[in-house]
Amino acid sequence: MYVELKNINKHFGNFKASDNVSFGIEKGKLIGLLGPSGSGKTTILRMIAGLETPDNGDIIIDGKVINNVPASKRGIGFVFQSYALFRYMTVFENIAFGLRVLKKSDSEIKDRVAELVKLIGLDGLENRYPSQLSGGQRQRVAFARALAPNPQLLLLDEPFAAIDAKVRQELRHWLKEMIAKLGVTSIFVTHDQDEAIEVADEIIIMNKGRIDQIGKPLDVYSTPKTAFVASFFGQPSIFKDYSKFRRFDAVEGAEQTIVRPEFVKVTKKTEVQKFKNSAEEGVVTDVAFRGSGIELSVLVNGVTLTARRGFDEPSVSVGEKVDVFIYRIFVTAGDNAYLLENKSLREPVVVI
Amino acid sequence: MYKETKSSKAVKWFLIGVSVLFVVLMLLLPLITVITEAFKQGFAVYEKAVTDNYTVKAFWLTLEATALAVVINTVFGLSAAWSLTKFHFRGKKILTTLIDLPVTVSPIIAGLIFLLTFGRQSPIFPLLQDWDVKIVFAVPGIVLATIFVTFPFISRELIPVLEARGNDEEEAAALMGAKGFTIFRKITFPHIKWAFLYGVVLCAARAMGEFGAVSVISGHLRGKTNTLPLHVEILFNEFQYVPAFAVASILVLLAIFILIARSLIEYNGKKKNKVEP
Ligand SMILES: Nc1ncnc2c1ncn2[C@@H]1O[C@H](COP(=O)(O)OP(=O)(O)O)[C@@H](O)[C@H]1O
Ligand SMILES: [Mg+2]
Repeated sequence: MYVELKNINKHFGNFKASDNVSFGIEKGKLIGLLGPSGSGKTTILRMIAGLETPDNGDIIIDGKVINNVPASKRGIGFVFQSYALFRYMTVFENIAFGLRVLKKSDSEIKDRVAELVKLIGLDGLENRYPSQLSGGQRQRVAFARALAPNPQLLLLDEPFAAIDAKVRQELRHWLKEMIAKLGVTSIFVTHDQDEAIEVADEIIIMNKGRIDQIGKPLDVYSTPKTAFVASFFGQPSIFKDYSKFRRFDAVEGAEQTIVRPEFVKVTKKTEVQKFKNSAEEGVVTDVAFRGSGIELSVLVNGVTLTARRGFDEPSVSVGEKVDVFIYRIFVTAGDNAYLLENKSLREPVVVI
Repeated sequence: MYKETKSSKAVKWFLIGVSVLFVVLMLLLPLITVITEAFKQGFAVYEKAVTDNYTVKAFWLTLEATALAVVINTVFGLSAAWSLTKFHFRGKKILTTLIDLPVTVSPIIAGLIFLLTFGRQSPIFPLLQDWDVKIVFAVPGIVLATIFVTFPFISRELIPVLEARGNDEEEAAALMGAKGFTIFRKITFPHIKWAFLYGVVLCAARAMGEFGAVSVISGHLRGKTNTLPLHVEILFNEFQYVPAFAVASILVLLAIFILIARSLIEYNGKKKNKVEP
């Protein structure tokens, strides 16, 4: 493991911002630290960088415990959520700052800055001040500035949060490519599940100062280990009691039922429903057009579920009676989450 | 834009009229009086009054006290503003309140405090005598009193500017290995420069004009502990009206000089902020 946190605790007054946090990161990986606002992500990043001191526990980088190494000596690149560009310096001087501190020669600085400016695609804007750049451009400058001294570890705090949706999409891909190209081990913080899934090699999910789950994006998405993770991803419909839905095993102490849109199949009465026998009847209460398809709200057994249909399928209208089949559900009991399959899936099917 | 109706126009001119009248009555008229009185007996008399040995000494003492007050309050103001905005500690609120104390306390009381602290009746007076240090009725007392009354001027300009902006840039610089002084010089100072200069100007203006506190502690020793404002008072009390006004005109000149400096700083600060907010 290149970066390792061992049993890190951190309080701000009486508030526990980090609760026994442990994880390890392999060299060269791009890690997404995901969690809702206030879950303690920034605190973790700041402790790794040396801007905060943990109450106890070890932070290990490249085999060495660095708790007592000052921030300035850790050689970590940090991209702040606010970018924190030096507003009284030009783009050139911003990127050159770390190199000047290292007392590099003028020609070396010139070459390195030129290289980075090219990398971030801002050639010709070297003499602009941060206030004369767009959000996306500022973000790139912050990235270049952090990379200039060749850090072995790059930390990014919500790098896309302040950027509008369209540019954000572009920047995500750009950042992923850049980091892959440079091979620098990176941790980025985000509260956006899509962003984490799209960009990260591995996701660490935080909730209330604790780590809930660590794994590959697909794994955490499809096999959530905790109630929080199960409800955090996707676009879940959450309700209490699932006993009205037939053909699911009972779970002792079940508290919540979580159904994601892709777990639900909605068919018109005139269409073929493979599992007609175990499908329930529902009423469409809302139809919304999304970029990727049509999103439906259906009222079944007193519960409103979200489901999707493709543009190519026959259209459904509000008030229409439909058949609703649920493939699987997540059920939470205490802190744990269980995946339950519809038993009909395991039985031979007769299509009439 | 606000659209002008007939009645709002009347209000506008009325308010402007009141302001102008006030400025003329309260500021311009006295100013003209000072100048005309100073030159009442011709330029030669004026020149004699302002080049008088005691006047020149008072002038230099005023500048000395002002310069020392500015330098010391710069150090204090920067430290106080920095610690109050960048650190969390116990008693922060109390410190913030105490810094403002000199503005709320009457200068006479400030002078008395120093008189009682360092004067004959003070328990530390014998100690000062042993070390041969004279504070009361001497230049150090005047400097101390001046520093006291101008105490909050620089820090009060800096605190809001530093507060309005987080620590991010400093942290970013520190992470890249920059040392404290480099961070201050390259990151923090450019940001507070105009507010700081403005504070210096206010501090200098107040220091030059200080009368009350200095009056109590100076002892009015002509040529020794007399500042310009005190000198004006002495001349006036001796019925030497023309010299009194002549010396006063020096203070007026200094004030105008500072006013110009202030406007230049404000103008520059605003212009800079437009290009690099
Ligand atoms: N310097 C601080 N002083 C006091 N409380 C803090 C400080 N920094 C963070 N916190 C608190 O710790 C919690 C976690 O903060 P943070 O790590 O910034 O969360 P996130 O980045 O996940 O939104 C928040 O409730 C926040 O109020
Ligand atoms: Mg945060």
